[in-house]
Amino acid sequence: MEVYLTLALLMSRGVVLALGHDGLVDVPVPSGLTLQSNKSAQTLTLTWESDSSQFDIEIFHTELMNVVINETVESKADPTAGQHVWTWHSGLPLECTSHSVHIRARYQQTVSQWSPLQTIPGSDVPEQFLSKMYPQDKVVHVGNNMTFCCIVGEKINFDRILYHGKEMNATRVSRRTYAVTVVNLTVSEVTGTNVICCSKSHTLTGAVVFVAYPPGDEDLVCETRDLTSAVCSWKKGRATQMRKTHQRTKYSLNGRDCLQANKGEMLSCTWTSWEQNWTLVAQNPLGRVQLTDSASLADRVHLLVPVDVTAVEVEAWSSTLKWRWSVAAYKKLDMICQLKLNSRELTVTRNFSGTGLSSVLLDGLWPDVGYSVSVRCGSLHGFWKWGDESAPYRIHTKMWRPDPPDVWIWMDSETSGWVLWKPLSVSESHGALDGFEVSQSDADSDRWSTVSLSHNNFKFPITLTNNSDINVTVAARNPAGLSQPSALTVPAYRAVGSQLKVSELTGTNGGFDLSWRSDVHGRGGFVVEWIPTGCAGLCAVKWLKVPESNSSVRVGPESLEAGVRYTVSVYSLSAGAPVLLERWNGYTQELPPSESVVKLSPVQISSDVLLSWKAVPMKQQRGFIRGYSIYLATAARLELLANVSDPDMSSYRVTGLSLGSYKFVVKAYNSAGEDSGSTVAIKLEINMDMMVVGILVSLGSMFFCLILISIFCYKRREWVKKAFYPEIPGPKVSGDWCSPQGPLDVKASPHSLVHIVESPEWEFSKKGLVPVPEEEEENIGVDTDSDEPALLKYYNQVVGEDSRSNPLSDSSGSSTFSVDSGRTDITYTGIQSPTSSHGGGYRPQMQPVSGPDESNVGFESDFQEESSGYKPQCSWQLDSPEAENFRGSVGSPTSVTSSQFLLPESSEENRPAHGWFHSILSRKS
Amino acid sequence: MAGRASRGRHWLRGHAGSSPALARLLHEECIQLLELYRKRESLPSSPVAGDYLVSIPPLVPPMSHAEKISILHAALKECLRLLEDVITRENAEFSEEEGEYTRQRTTVKDLLGHLLVSTERLLVDGQRFEAAVKEELDGSGIFDLKMWISRVLQDLVHWTGQTSDTLNQAPAEKAPISRRTRKGTRKTRN
Repeated sequence: MEVYLTLALLMSRGVVLALGHDGLVDVPVPSGLTLQSNKSAQTLTLTWESDSSQFDIEIFHTELMNVVINETVESKADPTAGQHVWTWHSGLPLECTSHSVHIRARYQQTVSQWSPLQTIPGSDVPEQFLSKMYPQDKVVHVGNNMTFCCIVGEKINFDRILYHGKEMNATRVSRRTYAVTVVNLTVSEVTGTNVICCSKSHTLTGAVVFVAYPPGDEDLVCETRDLTSAVCSWKKGRATQMRKTHQRTKYSLNGRDCLQANKGEMLSCTWTSWEQNWTLVAQNPLGRVQLTDSASLADRVHLLVPVDVTAVEVEAWSSTLKWRWSVAAYKKLDMICQLKLNSRELTVTRNFSGTGLSSVLLDGLWPDVGYSVSVRCGSLHGFWKWGDESAPYRIHTKMWRPDPPDVWIWMDSETSGWVLWKPLSVSESHGALDGFEVSQSDADSDRWSTVSLSHNNFKFPITLTNNSDINVTVAARNPAGLSQPSALTVPAYRAVGSQLKVSELTGTNGGFDLSWRSDVHGRGGFVVEWIPTGCAGLCAVKWLKVPESNSSVRVGPESLEAGVRYTVSVYSLSAGAPVLLERWNGYTQELPPSESVVKLSPVQISSDVLLSWKAVPMKQQRGFIRGYSIYLATAARLELLANVSDPDMSSYRVTGLSLGSYKFVVKAYNSAGEDSGSTVAIKLEINMDMMVVGILVSLGSMFFCLILISIFCYKRREWVKKAFYPEIPGPKVSGDWCSPQGPLDVKASPHSLVHIVESPEWEFSKKGLVPVPEEEEENIGVDTDSDEPALLKYYNQVVGEDSRSNPLSDSSGSSTFSVDSGRTDITYTGIQSPTSSHGGGYRPQMQPVSGPDESNVGFESDFQEESSGYKPQCSWQLDSPEAENFRGSVGSPTSVTSSQFLLPESSEENRPAHGWFHSILSRKS
Repeated sequence: MAGRASRGRHWLRGHAGSSPALARLLHEECIQLLELYRKRESLPSSPVAGDYLVSIPPLVPPMSHAEKISILHAALKECLRLLEDVITRENAEFSEEEGEYTRQRTTVKDLLGHLLVSTERLLVDGQRFEAAVKEELDGSGIFDLKMWISRVLQDLVHWTGQTSDTLNQAPAEKAPISRRTRKGTRKTRN
């Protein structure tokens, strides 16, 4: 300690000497500097004497001579004491280390010498060797900054400082002192926030800081409960978060401590008498708030709870409720009381007023109903607030006779019907029903027959035996008695579709708005009845009674269903039987039909299809059917064919269809849309009957034509013969040429054509012409053995179909002859053998050509011999038996080619035949 | 003395009853209480500097188990007094609502009372030992109070551990006491 003071003194002297060399000695040095510290407030108060009014002040952390503050201050001396006083607030607790202060006077730019250093010793002096931390148990406002210091004990190594478990950056202030500054402090936990100074291995010391708020109390209100004393209460507002017992908020009301509040039990304070003005002070170490209230007693009456609430004289429709007050002064108070009635269905409140009110009559109750009732009261004049409410008290009213049932009679035929009545609600039955009594009598007689029914019966069948009116009454019974009877005369049965016109009715907003003739007055009012149209058996009949003065009513959607057709009837009630006034059919809301047309069937009529169906059943129509849509269904979509707008139509003819398969869809529609549709498929086919008829007609026509042609040919047979088969002049032969005189030397005439066919047999079936090269044509006359003439080529074509269809017979029928190996056929044309046409006749192609045949040789010889002028056709006689065999060969290669190629071209007799055939050939070519 | 010790050992076997299990349970509850306190106060896990508050004569090998238990009983009795003092001071200083720490504190207090009653029956011939509390609360700061509470809780952990070890070691008396003492010390210092 002494060492540091000496050091400070030496430093002070050095400064003075230096200043002395500069010559700044004119201003006198302040004298009598004394220091006074307030460690809890962390303030240092300097007192000195001087004539100057401006001073420079320097404060150091003594040990390390760190300048904490160097400030020029204005100060005037206290007139009485003649001293200057200046106070400095230190951020660092003054205990943390020693602080040294010196001061000098200033006059403009001239300053005095520094005064001697004055030092306030800290707790880090060697004499105090234990570890310590400052400040201890400080209470600060949330958001403030705080500096803590740790003085480490002698010979102990400092390691760290933790704030709320978090290590802080420490600054060394002296040899043993380290400081940390925490900014923007947050609210502490219950036991405050710990600041801990640690060595490497141990907790050395620490401090606790309480970071909290000043009191936030608000809304002071004072009232009286007993018309004498006062109870002031308030709201806590923002919590102070101050949990240290001795630092909690302290309350005082009009200068007196509020014990209840100070114990933390409740935020209220009682006062034995009423005062006009009230002041509450709430205070804690961080601050205080003051709340005020001002009111007269009459305006602050808060009544206590009524006690002993009981019901007396409980009747069916009313009850009396009584209670008692615990404060006698209430008996003279004009008060208003509110009774809250709770039943199963509703809650109502009723207000009653009076002086010292303690009983009320509750009327308007319903019989046989349980109520719970509670009471609360307030001052009538200067009403402040409702008093405390009593606990609910239960009341159950007595039973009463039931109300008359709502009765209606529905006739389902001329002679039978049902008496119907509606169930009574709780508010109508006035007690649990025992049952109903139904009485029936003829209007002509007074004899009544009564039937008792159980409470869950709501209908009774009636049967009419004669034409007189029948009166029916229905009454309900409960333990309290029998209700007034509801009487009604049985109405006449009016079937739907009878002479009464039935109009179409459109619903609105799910219900029916009905109106009827206003000139009809039912003295007993009207009944609107509605039932599902077309229902069978005991239908769900509903009705509504309308007062006499009304001629319109709305039937709400509660009892109606969308998509159902209802028959709505209005009856007028009078002395006799109800009279039917009007009747409608309608839907409250139409829906698309739920089912499609039924029994859809197609019938093919020629190229048309007749579709027929049966209508959608009534129940599934769900709206008035307006028509039908006919669709042709394809793979991709439905193609609308027709729209049948007549709902009574049940067929449609689809016309102009070609053969094939079709699928038709028929959908019924109403105003809400179409149904899903019925589908039917049909395959259009040829009408076989008609086809057979056509064929027969065609055949008949052909046959007829043939007959005509035959007749014509027969009539003109001479002409035909001339035209088609002219006479062929016979050869003029001299002598008996038929007996052979020697072998004939037959040489092939240039016109005798030999056709060597190397192609196999199939070539006969070839159509068309075989083209012959030009050069070959030129060699016709030269090479008769190998090349056939061009005309012969055409022969194959001329012979026509027959030759192709039967080459075998063709070969036999022709005058061809094959002389060759089995592979080569040789066909002779123009050589005719009458016996070779059929059967065992000559068939050159059928003869195996195995080698030189004698007969063939002979024949060949004959042929050659005839070459000088022989015309083999001369032997042909059309009339001869052999010739008859050739009739069928007219046009065959045998006959035609024979006459063509063997007759001289210049012969006049052959010209017509030649011309006819040639013309054919020419056309062919 | 030796005969008395032998007699006490056999007697202990028959009369220890639920004390060993109770002591073990109390020791665990004390450890948990210390942990809860450190957690609530954000204190470092390192122990507070200083010796144990409660001091007893050294438990040397020649002592019988009954004698050791008598000495430990005296230490636990002081621990209970200190714990009750802690509760009183904390309730006076802070208006704290019931929480996990306060519930655990009550549990330890109750268990400690039960253990004292349980071990009371094990004391030899009414022989009583006195335990001394070397340091009472020093300083008036809240932090001093917290450090003192920490030391009380550390003592609780230590002496309940010692008692648990001693009670549970009754059949195997040959084990050296000094080792167990060190073990108990190590436990609490962690």
